[in-house]
Parts: sequence; structure tokens; C-alpha cells
Amino acid sequence: MGDMPTSHHYFACVAQRARRTCGILLLIFAFAWIGSSRADERQERVLMLHAFNYTFPATTLIGDAARKRLVDRSRGRVEIDADFLDLNRASDPEHEVRTAAFLREKYSNHPPDVIMTLGSAALPFIVKHRDAIAPNTPVVFTGVSQANYSSSQPPPDMTGIITEFNLEKTLILAERLQPNARRLVLIAGNSPTDRLWQERARRIVENRERKLETAYLFGLPYDVLVSKVAKIPYDAIVVVLTVFVDGVGEPHVPMEVARTVAQLSPAPVYAPYDTYLGNGVVGGYIETFESVGSAAADLMLEIIAGKDPATLQPKTNPGQTYRVDFRAMRRWNLRESDLPSDTIILFRESSLWEQHHELVLVALSAFALQTLFVGALLIQQRRRKRAEALLKESEERMTFTAAFMNIGLWQFDRQTGKLWATEHCRALFGLGPDVPLTRETILSKIHPEDQVNAIASVQEASKNDHSAITDVRVTRSDDKVHWVRIRARSHSDNRDAASQMSGIFADITEQKAAEAEAALQRQEVAHLMRVSVLGELSGAIAHEINQPLTAILSNAQAALYLLTQNSPDLGEVRDVLQDIVDEDNRAGEVVHRLRSLLKKGERKFEVVNINDLIKSTIALLNSELISRRVNVKAELANALPSTWGDPIQLQQVLLNLFMNAMDAMGSTPMMQRRVVVFSRAAQTGAVEVLVKDHGSGISAEQDRLFEAFYSTKNHGLGLGLTVCSTIVEAHGGNITLTNDAAGGAVATLSLPAQEMLIAAQ
Amino acid sequence: MFTVFIVDDDAGVLRGLSRLLRTRGYDIQSYTSPQEFLAQHDSALPGCALLDVSMPGLDGLELQRTLTAEGIHRPVIFITGKGDIPTSVRAMRGGAIDFLTKPVSDKNLLGAIARAEEEDTKSRQIHAELAAIQAKITALTPREREVLTHVVAGRLNKQIAGDLGTVEKTIKVHRSRMMEKLGVRTVADLVRMAQKVGISR
Repeated sequence: MGDMPTSHHYFACVAQRARRTCGILLLIFAFAWIGSSRADERQERVLMLHAFNYTFPATTLIGDAARKRLVDRSRGRVEIDADFLDLNRASDPEHEVRTAAFLREKYSNHPPDVIMTLGSAALPFIVKHRDAIAPNTPVVFTGVSQANYSSSQPPPDMTGIITEFNLEKTLILAERLQPNARRLVLIAGNSPTDRLWQERARRIVENRERKLETAYLFGLPYDVLVSKVAKIPYDAIVVVLTVFVDGVGEPHVPMEVARTVAQLSPAPVYAPYDTYLGNGVVGGYIETFESVGSAAADLMLEIIAGKDPATLQPKTNPGQTYRVDFRAMRRWNLRESDLPSDTIILFRESSLWEQHHELVLVALSAFALQTLFVGALLIQQRRRKRAEALLKESEERMTFTAAFMNIGLWQFDRQTGKLWATEHCRALFGLGPDVPLTRETILSKIHPEDQVNAIASVQEASKNDHSAITDVRVTRSDDKVHWVRIRARSHSDNRDAASQMSGIFADITEQKAAEAEAALQRQEVAHLMRVSVLGELSGAIAHEINQPLTAILSNAQAALYLLTQNSPDLGEVRDVLQDIVDEDNRAGEVVHRLRSLLKKGERKFEVVNINDLIKSTIALLNSELISRRVNVKAELANALPSTWGDPIQLQQVLLNLFMNAMDAMGSTPMMQRRVVVFSRAAQTGAVEVLVKDHGSGISAEQDRLFEAFYSTKNHGLGLGLTVCSTIVEAHGGNITLTNDAAGGAVATLSLPAQEMLIAAQ
Repeated sequence: MFTVFIVDDDAGVLRGLSRLLRTRGYDIQSYTSPQEFLAQHDSALPGCALLDVSMPGLDGLELQRTLTAEGIHRPVIFITGKGDIPTSVRAMRGGAIDFLTKPVSDKNLLGAIARAEEEDTKSRQIHAELAAIQAKITALTPREREVLTHVVAGRLNKQIAGDLGTVEKTIKVHRSRMMEKLGVRTVADLVRMAQKVGISR
């Protein structure tokens, strides 16, 4: 309640101003009266129809502004009547008909010359009932959104002011004030108007480039809304739209809901509504209701002056601008320097002198004392100057060296937001010589997807002792993507409030290009190796497809024969067809497996169940295992954690390990050609796969096995294990080969479980 | 009734082949492993074996050899997914009726089975005949069997009597009883019969 006196003060000011204006108006009135009584006794009648009742400040403000303007500018006398349609509370159709009949009766003796509607719901009302109330009377509407205007389809002699409450720009304002915000909370009620907001807000938020973690507090019961608002985290942006009706159908005044939300919310609250301003919200991109009222009055004046209303186009947003409440800014520690330049700041407090002149006096005397010290310090200054010259020279040398190395140096004060950077940074970020080197201009050149990372990394460095490194993409004017590495380090003894940051920008475009090329080549080699393994397996795989084809052919021929019978057994035929479908699916699966292995493409990471992958690999190798007389035993752990990776590449690794195991047993007696594959969750949390053969084991040159082009096989390329270990390392795992005590070799593949990867992040 | 014993480790193929042949009126006994087949197979049933070449454990060719070694004269048809020449040559040398490649058309399969049926009938007739002869020979007394061997060897009654240390008259009695038991009238018939069961000089 701390801001109450000030808001009283505000209203008092307004009231005072109003009184003053009234005085002047009375004078004008007096003159006008004399003038008009002499000229002609014509009296214009304006009927203002408020959509809701007297409790809605928005329509009241529009009405007051319009009234003032009409009285100010009208040549003749204007009689203004007003009625409240109360469309929000009584929503039965009978109410509308009753109201229309009542208005016709009420104004039958003095029909209005112009009808003005205030509030969105009044437009469809007047479109529907004008003929019943006052046929052919021109209408000027206000408080109508573009969507509402389009859906109401008013006839051409209805014109007015269309207001687009600008959520987009309100969000822009919020993000400028809270660059570190991570969440967005949107609040709206459940009336038809509220629901229009819900839809629009969702669309706007989804189309925004910057994605915040968003919560929609839409259509909630009032008490639920209040309890949720109180729990909003500090790093959120809260936007309150309208709550005309809550989730249980209870009517509310949106401004009052906004006031409560602003009082309770731990995070700053914004809104695109004029009336909320002064009630605790920070502000937004706002249309003032006064300007809407004045603009509507201007239209009415033109109509009164005899202009055909059909020639007057509706006006959109006569006076939108960024508006903020200084008190709310201070409450949430938002910085004035972050505001857009054309922002109107309301409720700014009186100057320092006015408020605390005694304090200022004390400060001034302290200042005087300080000047004495300064005098003493001046003596020291000469000495310092000499040191400074040396320092400057050294700095120039360093800057030159850095530029030569294609490195930019920077220093940043988090408190003041000031950035110092070497001129070479311009070249790195493609900034022209006339653009100032600031945090914002540099950030604007960083690829939007990398901006959040860059900011987060620098913040990270400000919290921790160690330096932080991020690589970001920079779009220079030549349209080519350049990579810049940002290194940041904090300079503070006080870790919580590291305000001085410094670091370097280095152009690493060439390094990135080389890395990308190497990755591409690794992919190509991996693909070639898959193709070559599958080439070796081609006979076996053909057999795998041949099996279902054989079954299909036999079944189909059986069915054909069955159908030549006099009374074919259709049940049997159905079974046959079912078998054909099953077998066809089986063939399809083999083809699918093959195709995915043959496919060339980028790594695609997904959740991988290693047991499934082992089973699928054994299925693929089935025929090869049989023809090589190798027996496979799979001992797979139940409830094995899943891992994260590219299933095709991981299957390639498994395939290679199985092929190696089979190759190793070429001279093993047939009865002993056994491969045992285990899967298990290691104690470290990793997922392990062991492939154990009964071959000759590994010879002494163990460490050369992973070397490229080294092979122990006669026909081997010497790339299998090299590619495997590259793949596995890219998955954050490792692969080892050892001799088993019982003879033969064991290949152990270890991959991090998905949970570990999540935890590591 | 003619039974086709199908052995294939692939359940789908086994079902397809079984169904195809069952609709054509054959009795089917199907096995997913050679071991199962060997354990349950009834060699007395007329029929043929349809064997997959490539199976885990014991392949089709080995199964064929095992059958031969155990004296089971079951006509064998091979069916294979990868029909290479060396394998087919080995199979045919081992006495296979046919060596068919998957996927196999009903025409080829039924043709091979028809030939197997013919072969099986023939071999069963021969076996039946031999068995009958064997049974008759078993019914002879040891002395009569001795006389039989000597007669087949072309010895005269007098020579046989000398060899066996008895008189010609006794040999004559044995000989006529033996001929009667074996159901042959002439020495030529006797020799032909003896050849069939492998009795010779």
C-alpha cells in the first residue's frame, strides 16, 4: 500500500487540473451560449453508450476525454447523454432487446444526432439494434479491436477508433528492462473478450523469435490465479491482459485484477492497457484512452459539421507509445537507461532537492571537504601522469599485437553497462566506423540463436572464478557466417557482485570450417564402412529377404489352388493372406534395416534402447551366422537404462564387433564357434555391451588395433575399429578390446546412459 | 498316403511350404530343427524329406548323410536360399531327388515330390521284396542255409555231400526242402534271389 499517497497525489492533480479546465470551459460556454443563441438555436445531441457499467475506468476515461473535446471544439451546443448497456453482467439476449426498447422509448422525443459507443461489446450491440433505437443515426465507436471490427461488420455509416493493444511491443519493452528474464507469464480471464486475448497472446508468443519458458494463467478461478501469481519466480516477465470474467464465471474489473496481480507478483508486471498504469504495473506500449476519446470526438464533430459518415474511415491507434510508471520501475529495480528513447515516464518523483534538501546540503559540505583532499592528490597526479604515459604505450603495443593475431580485446562494467573494446572488434563483428561499440551493437551482430548462449556464458563467468568460453556465429555485412570465440573472465574479489568483466574476441571461422570438413569426412568414411560391411553381408542379407519371399510365394500358390476348388475354405484363404501380410512385413523390415544403414546423412541423435539394437543386429546377421556356423547367445540385462545417440551409427559399431568376432573364429572348431553378447548397466551408470568370441584372441600389438589402416585380417581395410572408436567417442563413450581368461577376445562398448547426459547438462 | 517331412529353421517358410503341400493332399510333418526331425521321424511312413540346406547346428547335407548312415532310405529334396554349385553337386551325389532354389514354384516342388514318391514306392517295393526273401531265408535250418550257399556257388549235389561229409541223398532232401521254403523252382530263380540279398560265392 506504499504507493497510495502518491496515487492520491496524482488524482488530486488531475482533479485540480479538471477544475481549472472547467473554469475556463465555463467561460467559453458563456461566450458560446451568447454566440449560438444569436446565430441559431441548433442543438446537437450525442448519445454515449457504454458497453459496461460505471465501474470500468477505460470507458469512463474515453467518455470524459470525448466529452471535453466535444465541448471544447463544437461550434453549437452539444447535449451529451450517456447510458450503460451493462453487457458484461447480463449476457442473455433478452437483456439486449429490453435495453434497445428502453433506449428507443427514452430518446423518442430527442433522438440523438450521433451515437458514440464505448467498449468492444457495444459495437456488435449497436450494429444489431441501431434500427430499433434510432434508425440511420451515424455511429462512432471506440474501444474496438481490429478483429472485433472485422467480425462485427458494421455498415459504412459507422466509423470510429480501432485500438490494437500492442502485446508485441509491450513484450519488447519488458525484455529490454529484463534482459535476463527466463520466463514469461501471461494472465487473462474467461469472457469472450478475454478469450480473444488468450488466442492472440498464444499466437504472438509462439511467433516470437526469443523463446522464454512460458506459462499461461488463462481462465483460472480468481483465487487460484491469486495464489499462482504469488509464486511467480523473480526472473519472470508477467503480462496481465484482461480479466473481465474469471474461470468460475465471476465478473471482475480488469484494472482491479491488474492492481492485485501487480501487488502480489514477485516479478515485474506489464500490460498494454492505459488504465492499469498507476495501479502498480510497470507499463507497456500503450494507447491512452484520452487520445482515443479525443479522436472519437473529432470524428463526431466532423459528422455534426455535416460530413457524410460513410466517407470517414475508421482510425487506428491515434496515440500509442511506450509508457511506464516510475514507481513500479523502482520497485522492481528496473533501469531507466534500458527504456526505449521515446518512452513517457509517468509518476516520476519530484527532484532530489525538493525531497531531501537537507540531505543534499550535507552532501554538498562533504563535497567541499573532498575538494581539499583533491588538492592534496593533485601533487600525486604528476607522478601518475608519467606512469600513465608508459601504460598507454604498453596498451597500444598490446592492442596492435592483438589485432595482428585477429583478436579483439574488451572490458565491460556490468554495473554501468559500459563497454570498452579495441577497434579491431569492429572488424570482427562487421561494425562500421560510425557505429558505437557497445554491448548492444555487438550483440545485434551475433546470430539470434547464439545470443542467449553468449549472454549466459558471460554471466557464468561473472559468478565463477574460471573463465568462460562460447563460440558464436556473427553475421557480417558480406552475408557469410563468421565464427567468433568469446572468452570472458571476471575481475572481482567479491564473487557475488563481479562487475568488471574482460576478455577477448577471436575469429575462429577457419578453425570451424576445418572442423566441419573433418566431421563431414568422418561421416563419409563411416558411411563407406557401413556400405562395405553390408557388401560383405550381401549374400546373407539376400537370404534374409528370400525367406519371406519363399513363404509368400508358397502361401500365394496355396491360396490360388484353394480358390480353384468348388467350395473354397475361405477361413483358410484368410489365414493364408494374413501369413502373406506378415511375411511381407518381415521382408519390409529387412529392407528398412538395410536402407537405414545404407543411408547417407547427418547424425541424428535420439533415445536408443541398446537391447533392441543388439536384437536387430543379430536379426540382420542371422543368415551369415548360420552359414559361418556361429552360434550367438544374447544375455541382455532387464531394465537397462536407455542411451542417447544415432541408432544407425551405433548399430554400425555393433555390426563391426560381431563381424570381428566371427572373423576371429575362422579356425575355431565348429562346435566352439560361439559369440556371447552381454548388456549391462555398469556401476558408473554407463550402459555396457560386451561381445565375447572364442577365437584366437588378440596378439601383442593391441594398441595398434584402433590405428587407421592396421589390420590383422587378410582382406581387412584396417578401418573398422578406427571408425567404431570415432563413432563411440562422438557419443561420449569408449570401446576397449581385451583377451578373455577363458580364451578369445572381449570387445567392451561403454556408452553414457541418457540420465547421465541429462545430469551432466 | 504320402507324407512330406519338411525341415526348415524358418517358421514362416515352414508354414508356407506346409500349407502349399497340404492343400495338394500331402500329409505334412514339419520340424524347425534337424535334431527334432531325427528324434521324431518315423521311417516306416511312406514319404520324402524336404530339407533346408542352411540350418543352425546340423545343415541339410549333414542330415542327409546321417539318414544314409542310419540306413534310412528316405528320398530327399533340398531347398536352399543360396544355391551354389559345389553344394548342389554334393547333394546330388548323396542321392538327392532334386536341389531347388528359394523361392520355389509349386510346379517345380510338386514335380520333385512326385518323383520322390515314385522313387519311394519303388524302393519300398524292393525293400518289401528283400524283406520277404530275408524272412524266408531266416526260416531255413542251418543245414539248409549251408546247402543254399553251395548251390548258389554252382556245386553239384555230390560235391556238396562231399564238402559237408554226408551222402548225396540227404543233400537232395535238404535241397528240395530249401527250394520249397524259398518258393523257387529252378536253380536260376534261386541264384537271382540270392543275388538280391547278397548271397554269392
